[in-house]
Amino acid sequence: MNYEKLQNVDRRIIYTLLIVVLLIPMFKPLGIPLAVNATTQKVYDLIEALNPNEDVALFVIDYSPGGSPDVHPQAMAVAEHLRRRGIKTVMVAFVDAGAMFGEQILDVMLAKGWVYGTDVVNLGYMPGMETGVKNFAENPGGSFTVDNRGNTVADMPIMQGITHITDFAFIVDFQTGNPGYQEFLRQVQGPYGVPYAAGIVTVSVPNTLPYVASGQISGLLQGLRGAAEYEILLGAPGGGAAKMDAQSLGHLLIIGFILVGNFAYFMTKKKPTR
Amino acid sequence: MRREIPMAITFIIGIVLLASYYFTGTLPGTSWTLANVSKDITTWGVIVAAFAVGLASVNLVRIHGNKIARKRPDWIHSAALIFTMTAFIVVGVYNKHFPANETASTLFRNMFDNIYSPLGAAMFAIIAFYVASASYRAFRARSIEASFLLGAAVLVMIGSAPIGALIWDQFPVISKWLLNVVNTSGQRGIAIGLAIGGFAASVRILLGLDRGHLGE
Repeated sequence: MNYEKLQNVDRRIIYTLLIVVLLIPMFKPLGIPLAVNATTQKVYDLIEALNPNEDVALFVIDYSPGGSPDVHPQAMAVAEHLRRRGIKTVMVAFVDAGAMFGEQILDVMLAKGWVYGTDVVNLGYMPGMETGVKNFAENPGGSFTVDNRGNTVADMPIMQGITHITDFAFIVDFQTGNPGYQEFLRQVQGPYGVPYAAGIVTVSVPNTLPYVASGQISGLLQGLRGAAEYEILLGAPGGGAAKMDAQSLGHLLIIGFILVGNFAYFMTKKKPTR
Repeated sequence: MRREIPMAITFIIGIVLLASYYFTGTLPGTSWTLANVSKDITTWGVIVAAFAVGLASVNLVRIHGNKIARKRPDWIHSAALIFTMTAFIVVGVYNKHFPANETASTLFRNMFDNIYSPLGAAMFAIIAFYVASASYRAFRARSIEASFLLGAAVLVMIGSAPIGALIWDQFPVISKWLLNVVNTSGQRGIAIGLAIGGFAASVRILLGLDRGHLGE
């Protein structure tokens, strides 16, 4: 067998195999069972423990279009949970695209019965990165004069009585980079102790785990799998769960590539040189 | 003076923001608190950041406009950038000032939902193909260290995917142990090191020993 040829296989073959493996479960789901991670369960439990009569949740949308396939399904699932429980929700973004993703979520949730201005508001984008987070924390009501839709914030029933970040009972922050959990831990969770949960892209999971272990991040949704787990907890498998089969097969294929590539490498090395 | 005044501003603002974490009382002879002063400073910071976005747009137009005017290689990409940016700015600003206008609102939503958002996601998705290609061609067990890395990567990958538990129910357990024990201890060390380094860098900036922010 020509191991050198096997080692240097045309990359188009690799790409084609990956596309095929990812597409098959999209058309014909395999229904691989999914266990719920403890960090996902924690986010669910935190929202279950909120009191609909008095608690307001802060829903931070800090993801960009690049990472949205991983994080947007998480945000949809958590918004659905907050809506079902009747928890008043204030949306805000410290990333420019966030306000528009907020509108995408609202399109679905308003159609299901959330009342804009009373149950939910999308404040829009606040620039300044970490400075913006700190400024918002010290005066959430005053940071925006109008919301993302041009309504006067001070007139909205949902914003009455919100003068400081501690007026929120819970913060959930969906993010793909900066600003994200580091900025919120430094400027919000650390100084004020408001319970903080995060929804992150899969590649960021290893970086966040020390903060989960220390209790600074109370709950964590880990990439697309986190979204799928949350949908299962809600009893409504959706966009996240549908893509998990593709992710499983994709992981298996990449492991197969690693094994075959290394096998060819070692067999080439073993060949006697003349 | 061109150096001393910015250094003094950096020092005063840095000290005020730092002190506002620790002192809550009013400033002697005034009704001001450090928290209020800090709030004003961060509000200025947000305004300056918003202006910086505008300034960056002007800079982009200057650089790419120059490239188009001189017909430099790939000038067509610069033209696409300026056209797209102008279209988003015009429609976005119009939509912001006339939110009742359904046409502008729908157009802006369509531009974000059906152009910007899927293109951004597609760019990120392309990485999967590079990862697949690299896993085949470059991820080799050339040394003991590389073998450990490779073994850990395979175990975490298989344990994180739902199919891992179907193959062997201990895969998720091993994956979680690697992430929660081996990875977390390493990440914690890095985070503590970064925090100490960040603190040292901040002190150097406050004292004017490090003047990178002044363009030196």
